[in-house]
Amino acid sequence: MAAYIVRRLIWVFFLLFVVTLITFIVFNVLPAADPALLRAGRQPSPELVESIREQFGLDDPLIVQFFRYIGDILPFVGGDGFNFGFSYQSNQEVLPQILDRLPATIFLTTGAVILWLSIGIPIGMVSAVKTGSWLDRLTMGIALIAISAPVYFLGLVALFLFDDSIGRFPLLPGSGAYQDATTFFGKAAALIMPWCVLSAAFAAIYARFLRGNLIDTMQEDYIRTARAKGLSERRVIFRHGVRSAITPIVTLLGLDIGILLGGAILTETVFNIQGIGRFAYEAIVRFDLPVIQGTVLFGAFFIVIMSLIVDILYAFIDPRIRY
Amino acid sequence: MAAPLLEVEDLRVHFETEDGLVKAVDGISYTVDRGETLGIVGESGSGKSVSSLTVMGLTRARNARISGTVRFGGKELLGASDEDMRKVRGDDIAMIFQDPLSSLHPFYKVGNQIVEAIQSHRDVSKAQAYDRAVEMLGLVGIPEPRRRADSYPHEFSGGMRQRAMIAMALANDPKLLIADEPTTALDVTVQAQILELIERLQREFDTAVVVITHDLGVVAEMADEIAVMYAGRIVEQGPADTIFNAPEHPYTWGLLSSIPRMDAPRGDELVPIPGRPPSLIHLPGGCSFHPRCPFVRDAHRRVEPRLDPVDGNSRHKVACLLDSGTRKRLWEELQAGVKPGDARRDVIGIGRPDADQPSQDAGLDAPRR
Amino acid sequence: MRRSFQWSLIACALLALTLGVAACGGDDGGGDEPGTTQGTPAEGKQGGRLVSLWAGDVDHIDPGITYSDLGQQITRATQKTLYRPKVDDATVVEPDLAESDPEISEDGCRVTVKLKDGVRFSPPVDREVTSRDVKYAIERGFFNSVNSGYAGAYFGTLPGAKVGAEPGTKIPGIQTPDDLTVVFNMEPAEGEDRCPGGVLAGALVMPLSAPVPPEYAREFDAGNISTYGQNQVSTGPYMVENNESGEAIGYQAGRRIHLVRNPNWDETLDTRPAYLDEIDIQQGNDDATVMSRKILEGESMINGDQSPPPPILKQALTRQKEQLALVPSGGGRWVAMNTTIEPFDDVNVRKAVVAGFDREAMRLTRGGEVIGRIPTHFIPPGLLGFEEAGGMEGFGLDFMSAPGGDMELAAEYFQKAGYDNGKYEGTEELLMVGENEGVDARAAEVAAQQFEKLGFRVRLRQVTGDAMYTKYCNVPAAKVAICPNVGWLKDFADPQTFLDPTFNGDNIIPTNNSNWAQLDVPELNRQMNEAKLLTDTDERAEAWAEIDRRITELAPAVMWIWDNQANIRSENVVGVIDEDNGHWSFAHTSLG
Repeated sequence: MAAYIVRRLIWVFFLLFVVTLITFIVFNVLPAADPALLRAGRQPSPELVESIREQFGLDDPLIVQFFRYIGDILPFVGGDGFNFGFSYQSNQEVLPQILDRLPATIFLTTGAVILWLSIGIPIGMVSAVKTGSWLDRLTMGIALIAISAPVYFLGLVALFLFDDSIGRFPLLPGSGAYQDATTFFGKAAALIMPWCVLSAAFAAIYARFLRGNLIDTMQEDYIRTARAKGLSERRVIFRHGVRSAITPIVTLLGLDIGILLGGAILTETVFNIQGIGRFAYEAIVRFDLPVIQGTVLFGAFFIVIMSLIVDILYAFIDPRIRY
Repeated sequence: MAAPLLEVEDLRVHFETEDGLVKAVDGISYTVDRGETLGIVGESGSGKSVSSLTVMGLTRARNARISGTVRFGGKELLGASDEDMRKVRGDDIAMIFQDPLSSLHPFYKVGNQIVEAIQSHRDVSKAQAYDRAVEMLGLVGIPEPRRRADSYPHEFSGGMRQRAMIAMALANDPKLLIADEPTTALDVTVQAQILELIERLQREFDTAVVVITHDLGVVAEMADEIAVMYAGRIVEQGPADTIFNAPEHPYTWGLLSSIPRMDAPRGDELVPIPGRPPSLIHLPGGCSFHPRCPFVRDAHRRVEPRLDPVDGNSRHKVACLLDSGTRKRLWEELQAGVKPGDARRDVIGIGRPDADQPSQDAGLDAPRR
Repeated sequence: MRRSFQWSLIACALLALTLGVAACGGDDGGGDEPGTTQGTPAEGKQGGRLVSLWAGDVDHIDPGITYSDLGQQITRATQKTLYRPKVDDATVVEPDLAESDPEISEDGCRVTVKLKDGVRFSPPVDREVTSRDVKYAIERGFFNSVNSGYAGAYFGTLPGAKVGAEPGTKIPGIQTPDDLTVVFNMEPAEGEDRCPGGVLAGALVMPLSAPVPPEYAREFDAGNISTYGQNQVSTGPYMVENNESGEAIGYQAGRRIHLVRNPNWDETLDTRPAYLDEIDIQQGNDDATVMSRKILEGESMINGDQSPPPPILKQALTRQKEQLALVPSGGGRWVAMNTTIEPFDDVNVRKAVVAGFDREAMRLTRGGEVIGRIPTHFIPPGLLGFEEAGGMEGFGLDFMSAPGGDMELAAEYFQKAGYDNGKYEGTEELLMVGENEGVDARAAEVAAQQFEKLGFRVRLRQVTGDAMYTKYCNVPAAKVAICPNVGWLKDFADPQTFLDPTFNGDNIIPTNNSNWAQLDVPELNRQMNEAKLLTDTDERAEAWAEIDRRITELAPAVMWIWDNQANIRSENVVGVIDEDNGHWSFAHTSLG
């Protein structure tokens, strides 16, 4: 197991390197705005543009720029490391800005995960056990709608209905409330609508997925054995059925968490939560490469690490798996 | 004589499907006494597994229509409450299945799975149950049972897994053990060991055993009674000796001659039964076996045979429209090595009848009743 | 010593006020626009907290680097620049840090400014401002760690001023004979005998002239990228909230800018009333509809970088008129035709296009009538020279007279260009590059339709706004035939800042070119270069109006709107618009 983990970690580094490389290439090759010109403002003289290029190191060959960036990030390679550069847009350091926004994204993700698991798993189980009943049809129908509604649309609808400043039924803190809140509970209240909106589609997906999985699992031979042993139906469903059916969900969950930690862009935008997702989006619009690189790196890191965690967890869940 | 432990009377299990009514089990009856072994033999789709699962109350499909009687120890099982059936399963009646790898839960240790079986029927502590589990594992011939109990199913070999299943099934001293194809998934050498184990345990604990198999060879030694099923019905039933030595149903003859035998001369051809089992929705009219029977007569397409005792042996029942004398003569010919087509000609006369030809074989059939 | 251009304007204005005669140039801003609070800045109550909802962030928080109207909205609250346009009349400039008008020498080569005594920096610097602080402020614009976007343009003629200089480089051309006097000493260019002192003096309204303490700022300016912005000090009534060591904790990039009162600000040395106690700029309000509704239905809020979308505007016009303030932004938009690409090298084709174009349809994409006027020439209202160029009426050119498009007239011009059936007959596809989001995308699409109506075949490429500018329209080598939604905003109220970068052939540069039509008429260029050197207001107004006429006659672009800036406020906000900038003025607004 230890050797496996080490191998995977090496793989993580390699993947992050490739991701950084691709981001760098995409940014520099595809038609986009020139950051030096954007920074220079209107009608700049050639000397000014040149000075700005030098300031941000844009006049060096691309390879040099790329490896300088890598070198700045890594510790122990000259310099202090963990220097993710300065935003072209705001002249501020990238890493502190990302770390500053990370808690919001983590809070949003954590709450959403808890919410959608609490809803999706039970519904999935009930639907699987009572396949074909009206309850099953109803929940799966609602699930289909939840999956289909785009998050941004759902978010706006939620705001226009429930936002306490502009909504029809002013009930919940709305857009921008997360910024204003200072206490933990204030922030949590501000996240109620975003959690609901973000969880809706996921809960639906997980419910459907678990339902399908559980239905399949209940056809397995060992379920028949369990019943033949005279176990109570509850025990058969939970300890034998769900226990097996839920394992692929662990993989799914790990990846979903990894992706969300990279930033739930749409949710963060519509509710004005200053998380990494928004930050990345703004940087993309402004062609702010250092920030784009930083957020992409963080996003990729989370996904890859969650994937590793999930794989390790799997070994504990399923005894047939040995690394 | 004491009442039979298990009495099955006219059991029917039909499934309503979009394509029609599937008559998986269409009126079978048998009994099993304590300490006795019944072998139920048939091809896939004969209804042998479904009938046993129904006895256990494990036929749970919504579209299942079950009728008939299943009496266990005098108590009616069909129509008993779920809770009553749960108590019976794994305690009074136990079942083991064909593939022990897929039949054991991959995520739980074997010992714990046996403990589970024990604790759902006995009020004992986990430690006590665990001890019993280890004891049972030892009993079925697994070496180092305590260490083995701490392992996962995939860490066992095929034969050991089946032994473990048997240990689990017998942990609560069931009165009846149903073994559904217990050796099919195992190597030949291991097969013999498992069968021997079942026999031994049966003698020790006086358990009644029902062995379900497609392979007559499996039940040759073990069974006291044999029931041959075809297309949801029993076509021949009787003491094992009788069935092997004096079978009177063409299907049984087919089964017997398709068993490869070690003592047959090399070069002897296996004689398979031509054709395939029928659709259980659209059964052929008359005798279900008639499309494949080398000895079919015109009338057999229209008249259903009944399972009737043979003259001279009330325990031997056959469902065939040919009369017993004809059948005995046919068997003699087949035993002598005559091919079925030739045997037919010899005993019955001309070749197989056409649909148009008038029946020429009056007097050769058992009277219709 | 000659008075410079703005100062005669001030005299004019004072005269006008006392005699009630509007004798000077410059529109006093849409007095008849609905819902404005023009005229004397309104009185409100002291105190309170104003919230401004923005979508994005300021371009730079560093007052020496910021080069946008929003950045100026902040510096107009936090800094004392040498001069400042009057909040209700952009063409009139008053001294802020300066004590009086600048003295400009006859040849325009020497500009002298005297500073007020007793102005102090905010904590933690705390001391009095001296002339050396102004000198350093302008010098740092040239540092390669700062790279101000306009320092070179307006102050580059000073001896010793070089863009991309090492931090700490001094400019000998700026002298400080005593603590309260700054002297700008220019030298004429080759072959010239005059210097652009008038323009330099005009540029002293820009934030670059706000004083910066060198001993404090030096360490921040020393690195590769200056961090003075995150540690700035103020001289104005407000400051970015900071802690004891000077860190501007009130600035959270992309999230929030928090302005609080500057304890060291002396109101007797300032004309700004500064009613509010704090201003909270909250960013990230991307959805314009949600933002607008919050402001209109809420309390103590104003908008910032986003205008309300057209449906909200329409609604507000009927229901919440008072909460809406429409101000000429001092800029406009046009569809630029690349005069170096056929068939736009033919002036008759261009006139045909302008004549037939439905400019009202273009305007509709941004919200219709309220959002601005259909232009009759180029210089927008609010700038010097507007009246001289005919004001709203313009020069009476026939092809500019039908805002909805006159197809018959267009046909005539096409015939003059040689297309007998009155429409363009060429079959080549002309490249048009527009934006891909929001109302700007609509404008591009409408423009494409208009060209096709006139017989052209157009290939419309839509990209992000930044890409449109920096990779396509601003790059002559990209050979874009039509840029449908380019626009220009003045830097300050002088028409040179509007016409020179955009239509002077000498200003065509390979990247970041703003002369999108690539108009290059040598005689016209010369005319503009001469006009740049004029110092008398009236002369400048006349000269640039004449240039405006000539440009309009050449029809290099379809000018389709003189923008109004649409601003909204909550009901209880007594809002005052900064005419020069088109946005609310923090230092004049109060809560009712």
